[in-house]
Amino acid sequence: MRQALCDLPGHELVKRLRRKEISAVEILESVRGRIEAVEGRAPTTEPYSAQPADLERVHAYITLSLDRARQQAEAIDRALAAGEDPGPLAGVPLAVKDIFCVRGTRSTAASRILQDFISPYSATPVARLEQAGALTIGKVNLDEFTFGSSNESSAFLPPPGNPWDPRRVPGGSSGGSAAAVAAGEATISLGTDTSGSIRQPAAYCGVVGLKPTYGRVSRYGLIAFASSLDCPGPVTRDVTDAALALKVMAGPDPRDATAANLPVPEALGDLDQSAPKLRIGLSPDYFRLQYPEPSTGGLSERPVDPEIEAAVRRAADLLSDAGHTIVENVPMPNTRYGVPAYFVISRVEAASNLHRYDGVKYGYRYPGEVADLRELYRRTRGVGFGLQPKLRILMGMYVSGEEYEKDYYQRALRVRTLIRRDFERAFDPHGDFRLDCLLTPTTPSTAFEIGALYGDTVSMQYVDLLTVPADHAGVPAVSIPAGLDGRGLPIGIQFIGPDFSEVRMLQAARAFEQATEGDEWRRIQPRVVAAASAGV
Amino acid sequence: MTDFEIIVGLETHIQLNTRSKIFCSCKADSWGDPPNTNICPVCTGLPGVLPVLNRTVVEKAVLLAVAMHAESVQPISYFARKNYFYPDLPKGYQISQYDEPLARGGYLDVPMPDGAVRRVTIQKLHLEEDAGKTVRAKGRRLIDFNRCGVPLIEMVTGPDLRSADEAAQYLIRLRQLLRWLEISEADMEKGHLRCDANVSIRPMGLNYLNPKTEIKNVNSIDAVRQAIQTEVERQKREVSAGRPIEAWTLEWDEDLGALHKMRSKETEADYRYFREPDLLPLLVDSGMRKRILGAMVELPLERRARFVMQYELPEYDAEILTEERSLSEYFEATLTARPGEAKTISNWMMNDVMRMLRERSVTASRLRLRPEHLAAIIGMVEGKLITTNTGKELLEKVEESGRAPADIVAAEGLSQVSDDSRLRSLAEEVVAESPDQLKAYRNGKTSLIGWFVGQVMRKTGGKAEPQRTRAILEDLLSE
Ligand SMILES: [Zn+2]
Repeated sequence: MRQALCDLPGHELVKRLRRKEISAVEILESVRGRIEAVEGRAPTTEPYSAQPADLERVHAYITLSLDRARQQAEAIDRALAAGEDPGPLAGVPLAVKDIFCVRGTRSTAASRILQDFISPYSATPVARLEQAGALTIGKVNLDEFTFGSSNESSAFLPPPGNPWDPRRVPGGSSGGSAAAVAAGEATISLGTDTSGSIRQPAAYCGVVGLKPTYGRVSRYGLIAFASSLDCPGPVTRDVTDAALALKVMAGPDPRDATAANLPVPEALGDLDQSAPKLRIGLSPDYFRLQYPEPSTGGLSERPVDPEIEAAVRRAADLLSDAGHTIVENVPMPNTRYGVPAYFVISRVEAASNLHRYDGVKYGYRYPGEVADLRELYRRTRGVGFGLQPKLRILMGMYVSGEEYEKDYYQRALRVRTLIRRDFERAFDPHGDFRLDCLLTPTTPSTAFEIGALYGDTVSMQYVDLLTVPADHAGVPAVSIPAGLDGRGLPIGIQFIGPDFSEVRMLQAARAFEQATEGDEWRRIQPRVVAAASAGV
Repeated sequence: MTDFEIIVGLETHIQLNTRSKIFCSCKADSWGDPPNTNICPVCTGLPGVLPVLNRTVVEKAVLLAVAMHAESVQPISYFARKNYFYPDLPKGYQISQYDEPLARGGYLDVPMPDGAVRRVTIQKLHLEEDAGKTVRAKGRRLIDFNRCGVPLIEMVTGPDLRSADEAAQYLIRLRQLLRWLEISEADMEKGHLRCDANVSIRPMGLNYLNPKTEIKNVNSIDAVRQAIQTEVERQKREVSAGRPIEAWTLEWDEDLGALHKMRSKETEADYRYFREPDLLPLLVDSGMRKRILGAMVELPLERRARFVMQYELPEYDAEILTEERSLSEYFEATLTARPGEAKTISNWMMNDVMRMLRERSVTASRLRLRPEHLAAIIGMVEGKLITTNTGKELLEKVEESGRAPADIVAAEGLSQVSDDSRLRSLAEEVVAESPDQLKAYRNGKTSLIGWFVGQVMRKTGGKAEPQRTRAILEDLLSE
């Protein structure tokens, strides 16, 4: 089967481009064709009611910038013709989650309050990806201000659909990113992960989602949700692309004090150069979901989807066969508190980060008559923010108030320390487990239907139960595709490593990828892609 | 009537004189610049921007903390967010240190005009960013973001001051110190040094604290003195009339010389402080501390005391010479060239050099008349190579031309005429030309001697050595 250029991984495109078998403009045109075939009507902030056709389309992009991408592509082709180095990601189509500022483009955060905001500057990771030759196809949809796990809370509707089944969610908040990459509407995407927002949609859409170590990639230009958790990272077709994209965007940044002052490992450019034998852990705390019942406060437990558990166990067996050591029964007892602690910490930071949207300086301002400044604020924020930001502001204000701060916020910070300690113990090179990484499911279930959970904020949050601990701890984690469930929906498995161990962690993921190269499921295309390829 | 004791504490905000702002690279000092010209995405709080701490701010703050005898300059301190809505606060929160400030404890010993010394304790010293400015014009609010992100130090005193005058003295000494350390221009009129005063009174001899009021918006040291005095009088009237003092916030109206109530304290907002996640903990390790303190200088009050001890200068001279750092350095540099002549140098400086500074509105370090020039001029006068008057004129000539004093003396022939035979022949000429005055002198009007000396001076262009001229004239006139 001959694959369309828009369905190839980035490293393959770069290779062919450098051999002058293809041009950057050809790549771009392939993506343009795919977008025309699968994207559907453009999302807007107008009142929305779903049409039958909407449930067959991807709706990944809020804003397309194909003209800008065309100029970038032509520049790359000229550079190639002139014998110049066009960069490590030359000609690779990039979709930027619309939570990043890109100079001269609309940067909406999928919110009414920024729907017409044109950024005067570019985010550091975007600038670095463009510098490396990536073609910026456009800005993709997300949950409003990244507040969600299904992409349904965007102010720009229709919401993105899952390319494997557009009646289902692509996950979130980087839903547009994962959907675009899965559907061939981009080759890589820049997303953000605060509680799982890169890995969970990657798992739902059958692509790779990498959340680097906190501080590995600059946050400058990332419109903040929860500043102590937000992590930019790539969504890609395979592990090699994830490493390449990370290599380009990582590294110190004088504009971000929390960006780590560490060199970027050269090995990200060639993961296969060495294949170390790794110690890989399995934890029972990642095969069951423990969560407080909202009604009683008691702890409930249910297993993760058996098909997902089976996929993780199979991966462990394959890695063991490949010579790696599997360590069973690694205790991660504080996993169960990840979501409640996240609930508090993220909302305190979010409420504060949303203060600046007041209608005074930029973005939406209530256009009607107002009596005073207070009313201007109230009306601007009342109309400009959707339900999710409002809920988060209310909750954040509450738990950081002087009288509750000790009971909620300070306590959540202590829980966060405990979660971090679980990882330190598992990865301690002199400890009982001495792990190079943990192997876990990414999500408790596969993609759910649009509308199934939306509105139930608490249940929606438990979708992140297995991804949020790595955000709390700041450690790197990656979700990779590991098969399809009985309904033909992608299953994701997750590797989690110690601080700044991206190379080893990705080598583990790559080992799985190599062990399953011949698997039948790898040749199955998402439904919208198959339909487009068949010319439907 | 009851005698009351006055209790005053001051909360000062000090604008540091760094080149750039505290969290971005915009120019910090916007005095005189048009609105919104020193701004960028960071200090105007655009979506996605992050603060990066300016290390020079930390260095200046550590210098001040040590100069204020801080009990501890914290090896680790933190920034927090102070959340509130206001149009000139672009992020909707102010980045400020809060529960873990850069320095705790400390004091400043403030000499009072009556010779007593008041120890004013410092509770804490912390770093924060300034907000913008709102101007109301024709029913509109105009916002200038130039001041957003300008680095400030907040320093709060204990309730240690006992009068409006003491508060003023504290501010005078603080201003002196800030300029001395070269960390702030400390100009209250330009808002480089801002001050809120907490004022309460209590019956003399008791030691509890009554509710206090807070006075804001005082823009000069005189205004601080007046505002506190006004508030003390009001509180005395209230208490004497049996009414309680409420914890109000008051605003000083400079034009009316009156206080207005801004708000009652109980309506104060909950700022929902939490640690600023966009900044790392602020570390000041011993190496950094050592490097910063390498730039530490002798402090003004210490130098004043040393001038009295070491050079036996009168207190008054020592005070004047240490008012400003470069003046004191000028003095000592001159003294190096003419050791043992402290008082002579002090006189020259206080009479002449300081007049030149005032006329030119410069500090001593900016004079072209360098300390070695001053020393040379004093040397020529003392050595009777030139007259005192010539010396004083030379100060100006050196300042104008930048040439060495000796060169000017040689080029313009300003050397004192002290050759006896030349002076004698000039004196004879004068006596011969002035028969009336001679007669009067000889008739007992000996005070005319000064007139005769003046005539000889005129013939020499002021260069005649006065004592010798006088002696020769007395000799001639009495014949
Ligand atoms: Zn700035």
